[in-house]
Amino acid sequence: MSRFGKGLALLLVLLMAFSVLISGCGSKSTDQSNASQSKTETTNKPVTLDIFQFKVEIKDALQNAINTYMKENPNVKINLETVGGGQDYGAALKAKFNSGSEPAIFNVGGPQDVATWKPKLADLSDTKAAKEAINGTLTGVTQDGKIYGLPFDLEGYGLIYNKQIFSKAGIDPSSIKTFDALVNAVKTLDSKKKELGIEAVFAFPAKETWVTGLHLSNAFLSPEFDGDVMKAFNSKTVEFKYGDAMKQMIDLQNKYSVQPTASLDYSTQVEKLFGTGKVAMIQQGNWVYPTLESLDKNFAENDIGMLPYPVPGYKEDSYPEGVPMYWAVNSDKPAEVQKAAKDFLDWLYTSDEGKQIVTQQFKFVPAYNGYSADSISDPLGMQLFVAASQGKTYGWVFMGYPNNWGQNVLGADIQLYVNGSLTWDKVISHAKQAWADARK
Amino acid sequence: MKKVHVQKYLLTILGIVLSLIWISPFYIILVNSFKTKLELFTNTLSLPKSLMLDNYKTAAANLNLSEAFSNTLIITVFSILIIAIFSSMTAYALQRVKKKSSVIIYMIFTVAMLIPFQSVMIPLVAEFGKFHFLTRSGLVFMYLGFGSSLGVFLYYGALKGIPTSLDEAALIDGCSRFRIYWNIILPLLNPTTITLAVLDIMWIWNDYLLPSLVINKVGSRTLPLMIFYFFSQYTKQWNLGMAGLTIAILPVVIFYFLAQRKLVTAIIAGAVKQ
Amino acid sequence: MIKKAKFFKNGIWYWLFIAPTLLSLIIVVLIPFIIGIYYSFTDWNGINQPVFIGLKNFIALKGDTEFWNSIFFTAKFAVACIVIINVVGLSFAMLVTRKIFARNFMRTAFYLPNLIGGLILGFIWNFIFVDVFQTISDATHIGWLGGWLSTTNTGFWGLVIVTSWQMIGYVMVIYIAYIESIPTDLIEASKIDGANSWQQFRNVVFPLIAPAFTVSLFITLSNSFKLFDQNLSLTAGAPGNTTQMITLNIYQTAFSAQEMAVGQAKAVIMFLIIAVISIIQVYLTQKREVEM
Repeated sequence: MSRFGKGLALLLVLLMAFSVLISGCGSKSTDQSNASQSKTETTNKPVTLDIFQFKVEIKDALQNAINTYMKENPNVKINLETVGGGQDYGAALKAKFNSGSEPAIFNVGGPQDVATWKPKLADLSDTKAAKEAINGTLTGVTQDGKIYGLPFDLEGYGLIYNKQIFSKAGIDPSSIKTFDALVNAVKTLDSKKKELGIEAVFAFPAKETWVTGLHLSNAFLSPEFDGDVMKAFNSKTVEFKYGDAMKQMIDLQNKYSVQPTASLDYSTQVEKLFGTGKVAMIQQGNWVYPTLESLDKNFAENDIGMLPYPVPGYKEDSYPEGVPMYWAVNSDKPAEVQKAAKDFLDWLYTSDEGKQIVTQQFKFVPAYNGYSADSISDPLGMQLFVAASQGKTYGWVFMGYPNNWGQNVLGADIQLYVNGSLTWDKVISHAKQAWADARK
Repeated sequence: MKKVHVQKYLLTILGIVLSLIWISPFYIILVNSFKTKLELFTNTLSLPKSLMLDNYKTAAANLNLSEAFSNTLIITVFSILIIAIFSSMTAYALQRVKKKSSVIIYMIFTVAMLIPFQSVMIPLVAEFGKFHFLTRSGLVFMYLGFGSSLGVFLYYGALKGIPTSLDEAALIDGCSRFRIYWNIILPLLNPTTITLAVLDIMWIWNDYLLPSLVINKVGSRTLPLMIFYFFSQYTKQWNLGMAGLTIAILPVVIFYFLAQRKLVTAIIAGAVKQ
Repeated sequence: MIKKAKFFKNGIWYWLFIAPTLLSLIIVVLIPFIIGIYYSFTDWNGINQPVFIGLKNFIALKGDTEFWNSIFFTAKFAVACIVIINVVGLSFAMLVTRKIFARNFMRTAFYLPNLIGGLILGFIWNFIFVDVFQTISDATHIGWLGGWLSTTNTGFWGLVIVTSWQMIGYVMVIYIAYIESIPTDLIEASKIDGANSWQQFRNVVFPLIAPAFTVSLFITLSNSFKLFDQNLSLTAGAPGNTTQMITLNIYQTAFSAQEMAVGQAKAVIMFLIIAVISIIQVYLTQKREVEM
């Protein structure tokens, strides 16, 4: 029995060692709940803000901005957490909320997200930033007169082209203002492939369902919903009024692309093929700029431009432009935390210091008034900014598609269409059916 | 005898050729960890132009290497230790005592291996969040929960091969159960322990999803979490990712080399004791 | 008889030995799983207050062809993987446990693929399938090497190759453990009896490592059914969700489509399917073990 006792003692020691380990680390995480305890205190009391965001590209710059802000506001402590990998923000955010450590500031995508997260969203209409937001950027997050999100930035896409290849082929990019002109240019480029040293005219990444199912389809569904994301969100059906034009665009990009397109991904498209001059054109947006810059600074600064995204019968000389993501404030947090969150976002987007950070360090195209055009630091963003001021843009509606419809239904079917195992009619009829089913 | 020799040479050559094919994908990781991004995309397969160490320097700095490394090490070592000790104890009890409960509990452990992680992850973080246990030690405890099934399963199989006469003799000598387990059985299970450690280390050392849900304090992050910051929605820094990956897997490769040697000694030691 | 009585009597140590792992299993796996099962009967989306809706989620799954396709695809995938991984894994284990030159190098080489996961693995293999295969195909005019991952069939084999490449080292380690525990004198004895390699394997090695089959088959089965990272990073279901496996389908349902409860219902069904298959498999292999 005494031997058994010894053994038991050893086991207990092990368990205790384990529990020491547990409590040793566990005690560190208690400051998280500080924020909720100070419910009734005045605003001079220290406030802790947890930010949970998805844009890894601005992780370091945002941390710098936070450090600056905390220096000026010593009673505010901000913890920044960024989700890596770039894919799982939705899942990570749900886990975060379920784990009890709810962030004060997080990201939502558009009307669909607002509907899902509504019980957690604070009204932001009293913020300075909301008043300064460019017309139309708030429609996707406005419900019953309440504003549930503040735009990150403006993004737009079109056909990004290689200036050198175009000039070698003798094509003037400024002359391409219609779909027909685009087709002619593509044919010219295709006939000179050898001299130009390119593998193909396009790189069409059908593997990335967001490129086809969201961005490409958006251009041809936007006119159907008058470019209004809320109309798309509230629509029970989708007609594909511009379905033929959409088919033409897919066929054009697919036929003249590096093959096979069903397995071509974003990295191959932007970096491996376009970034090294193997293709002349890609359908992408201003977000590719930092990527191209990190490949070859000189090329990114001087040799790229963006052609408009033509929709025959609607707008042929325009760019689809919209807000990719919004900042939201958690309504379950105590009032002073919510206020501190709003103050921080106001500072970031409307103070002179914040503006500087947004344009120079985040390299955003601002979605707010009061920014000067020359503060935008990259040529693609500049082109979009100019186009917007000339009214040559149309709105994004894909945030109003039913959950998962754009990528998992339409984008997935487009993969089968380009590899020849599904007819176009089937793609359209399936997409219509799935939309109607989702909105029943 | 000659025929045997020829056969042996042929097998050796075959083995070496196969090994080289097997590790060829690592060639891609290694050579590209020395390239600039442009070079990586223009010439993925070729040798780097120079042995440029910039990627390694940048990666080490961005990874917070010493911190992330020690976090990963602590979590892995503690997890494997408690998985090995506790699951061998459990397997010993379950295998030696033949009652209804032991059969049922063994079944539960086995069947639990079939539960897909994605279906428990949200309730799991909700539960642990409630008890403020989303910490590194909470993570270690989770690894015990997820890893004990395989541990019990492997040890249970190995214990079948260890005769009960050993326990009985010791019991007659008046040894306690724990002593028997600790002094006699556990050393005999060494080969299984090393096998289990080899299997678990690669799982825990490289795990991304679970730590990403559990660890949210800046200073507590593990290597895989930090490596994922090289990848974002639009910008994927492959060159830094490759360098970071090389840094991250090197310790495990070294461990495996050492464990192999240990495995051989352990088997010899076990055989002698038997 | 006296010692037997003592052997079974004292129950305290038995429970003490089991408690730590059983508790952790209950807390970490079983309770969350049971909560998950409860959610499958509700309309939970991950944030709202769940409302009980009975079997609605399960009934709706009847018409979800994509889900059943993903199960069928996964089953096909699992069969291919189980056969390849175990045959090759055992062969490798046999090879590196012989006293041949560079066997430690070979062991490490075969085990290495276990050390990388997820995204990076997807990138590397994507590159090999799409670029390296294509280059070889263009140079040699071997048609089937072109266009990998762009069709369902090449996507399927791509996944099988990557998973096998990764898992073979894993089961090899298990087989090695069993092979090395075979006393050398047994093999020596069979040599003296004049047994050739195949007879040695069939009559001496094989019966002794039979338990390793039970373990390895079970692990490969459950791992191929639960595969997620490789699926996401290599094909992500392309083209057209035809290479989507169950876990990816569940994940998409729960998080992209925001239908958490439906995802949980699918997980329950998936669990029942693999549980039944594995129990049959364990039962059969164990029966064989006894017979041998």
